[in-house]
Amino acid sequence: MKMSQNTPVKDDDQTSTNKKSLSLPTSRVRLIMKSSPDVSCINHDALFLTTKATELFVQHLAVSSYTNRAEKETKSLSYSDLANSAEENDTFQFLTDILPKKILAGDYLKSLEQLQEDDDDADF
Amino acid sequence: MDGDNSTTDASQLGITGEYMASGHYVLQSQEDDGEENMNDHDDSGIKENFREQDIYLPIANVARIMKNAVPQTGKIAKDAKECVQECVSEFISFITSEASERCHQEKRKTINGEDILFAMSTLGFDMYVEPLKLYLQKFREAMKGEKGIPGVSVGDNLGDDLTDESFSNPMPAGIITADGQQQNVMVYTTSYQQIPTVQQIQFS
Repeated sequence: MKMSQNTPVKDDDQTSTNKKSLSLPTSRVRLIMKSSPDVSCINHDALFLTTKATELFVQHLAVSSYTNRAEKETKSLSYSDLANSAEENDTFQFLTDILPKKILAGDYLKSLEQLQEDDDDADF
Repeated sequence: MDGDNSTTDASQLGITGEYMASGHYVLQSQEDDGEENMNDHDDSGIKENFREQDIYLPIANVARIMKNAVPQTGKIAKDAKECVQECVSEFISFITSEASERCHQEKRKTINGEDILFAMSTLGFDMYVEPLKLYLQKFREAMKGEKGIPGVSVGDNLGDDLTDESFSNPMPAGIITADGQQQNVMVYTTSYQQIPTVQQIQFS
């Protein structure tokens, strides 16, 4: 029974979001929902649907980012793959604030210089 | 979106996202210490006492879902798992705010399933809606079948605000069944042999 425990059940891992119970704890989902302003009551269906949708979302984000990952050989999903997804996929646009792309300081300064040069050249 | 102060270094240097070729950036040191950046990249979070993003779903659960979603041979970096954890909270808040707003507009106090589905549709997650309706339907059927009480809608008892106890403790289903029989069945987990496999959505 996996409300908030991670009880290892044999075939459950493979099919958790297909057949079995919710693989995310609804109490925690509810807590997050309640932390939104002006939320008073959440009915049973709403909680179930949100929890289920969250599972789908995790799958969606993971698969989408993995498929489009930069380093195809390593077969590893990295943070930057996620950040790229947020930028390139309309559905994940809302994540851009919390998934800023990372850039090495040196590269940043170089691109800054480049942009300033462009600004100087351009007619404003 | 632009000029927001969640990207620390860019704003500290007085440069907003507009100056960048694409989007906004956060500086990282030479080594890839993804974990550190993860936690302190949102400056505004420090100012507020408590943001909804501070509550996360357990990383083990999140990681498991990710692992099962990607191909067998795929691996997931640690900072990616943590990151998705945060994204998940963001997603929940995103949907909930939208649903809550609709509720208020219609002068209702309780967010119901329709509000959630409508919010998802509005926010670009309409591809989840049909599968979710199916899951809900199957779940309800399983609940009825399990209890053997036709016509008793589980939703009736649970339409009101639910306490955490309903979900977090493995309570016997005595709270739901009318016949008072002690069953080791929790609210959301019933014998799922009754539910035919729902087609998994293909995300690419």
